[in-house]
Amino acid sequence: MSLVIARNELRRLFAQPLAWALLAAVVVVLAYFFLLTLQGFLVLMPKIAGNAASPGVTDLVALPLTRAIASVLLLVVPLLGMRAFAGDRVALPLLLTSGLSDARVVLGKYIGLVAFLALLILATLAMPLSLQVATALDLGRIAVAALGLMSFAATLAALALWASALAQQPAVAAGLALVLNLLLWMLDAGARYEGVSSDFINYLALPTHLEPFLHGIVATVDIAYFLLLSTVALALTTRRLAASRVRG
Amino acid sequence: MSENQAAAPVLLQLRAVSRVLAGRRVVADLNLNLDRGSVLGLLGVNGAGKSTTLRMIAGLLTPSSGQVLIGGVDLREERAVARRLGFLPEQAPLYPELRVQEYLAFCARLRGLRRDAIAPAVSRIIERCGLGDVRRRLLGNLSKGFQQRVGLAQAIVHAPELVVLDEPASGLDPLQAVQIRALVRELGQEHAVILSTHLLPDVQACCERVAILHEGTLRYDGPRQALGDDLEAIFLRVVSGGDAAVAA
Repeated sequence: MSLVIARNELRRLFAQPLAWALLAAVVVVLAYFFLLTLQGFLVLMPKIAGNAASPGVTDLVALPLTRAIASVLLLVVPLLGMRAFAGDRVALPLLLTSGLSDARVVLGKYIGLVAFLALLILATLAMPLSLQVATALDLGRIAVAALGLMSFAATLAALALWASALAQQPAVAAGLALVLNLLLWMLDAGARYEGVSSDFINYLALPTHLEPFLHGIVATVDIAYFLLLSTVALALTTRRLAASRVRG
Repeated sequence: MSENQAAAPVLLQLRAVSRVLAGRRVVADLNLNLDRGSVLGLLGVNGAGKSTTLRMIAGLLTPSSGQVLIGGVDLREERAVARRLGFLPEQAPLYPELRVQEYLAFCARLRGLRRDAIAPAVSRIIERCGLGDVRRRLLGNLSKGFQQRVGLAQAIVHAPELVVLDEPASGLDPLQAVQIRALVRELGQEHAVILSTHLLPDVQACCERVAILHEGTLRYDGPRQALGDDLEAIFLRVVSGGDAAVAA
């Protein structure tokens, strides 16, 4: 039943200009980035061509792009998720009186948003994949990077939903989600500057768990981190919805 | 459901329901029963606690004390029982970016209608609510009268036993109000209907039973006929401290 809500969320996203505009903007910005790195690679290529140990097009073009996609997601996901609850106060009673549990309502909105993000990631990854026509890419590594990006995006989506459930206005929800994202992104950097090296702080930060994927490593600890963070954010969102029935 | 109707418990039962909002007792010790085949008008001035009562019946708010039972089942214990009712809040819960037909199909699917039952249910409801000419229009582009009709249609698309309508004719022009009242009267033949209003013509046109709510307490509950023709004078006496039963 959550899928019914998910499909509706996806349909609504595509019926509004915001999602299309963001999709277009992200593709344009990342296409520019892609062309720049490709240009750089073409300049560098004659120098490294003879060396078998030197990095190839996957390392120098495809993977930098996935890093750029991650940075863009930090900014874009809050905007896509901000209206999930905060901008939906009028229509929310429809879902809340449908006989579904609050958890299913939240899950439905979440799946809808994650499906949209999957399309966005696919659309951007199509650029480096197009190089396969002319050269041999390390498709395994790109697939692992894509998996990492998806886990990362799904976690940001859960955080955006929580922010949207907390706030009354969509803009406040977007701001809150952005602050959460940036804090989790830079958490370990601050500690490092201060000379503090703590495994715990490193564990909490998002890049600690995204980077291994971009290096082609799939580790249980990283998948567990993304799963844990998403589950906690979705549980808090559900609690917030339940509280709205009590608080009024 | 219909074969064991005789043995079934009362469709809607409010047992000593109270609700406190922001430290103020908005509804106090409300007892109310409603069974199939009747239209109950919940009459009261603005702030009397009508919307709060209806939101508790629909499960959007939980009572501070007391119980709301639908067919003998407490909504808090079994959320799925909400499918036995349809709810139209004060502001119709519409998605402006969707078209009438796809919105109603979503509502039907959300309330658990089987896949093959959805299209006939939607066609039937479009016909019944006079939405044939606007079925492909975007909800956001409809007039207030049509939006209210779509709001009513979403509440009954799954053929619920109990229909809960919060001020269904408020904000409509006189012609639209007459059309909505006719629809509500029709609904009363098949469903149990409870509607809140501060407009006396609503009650006169649709309801055979009246409950007058004032400052959160029930001041009168009985047949409309018993109040005679001059409903306005009696209503004004009740809300200014008199007793409707004596007045009648």
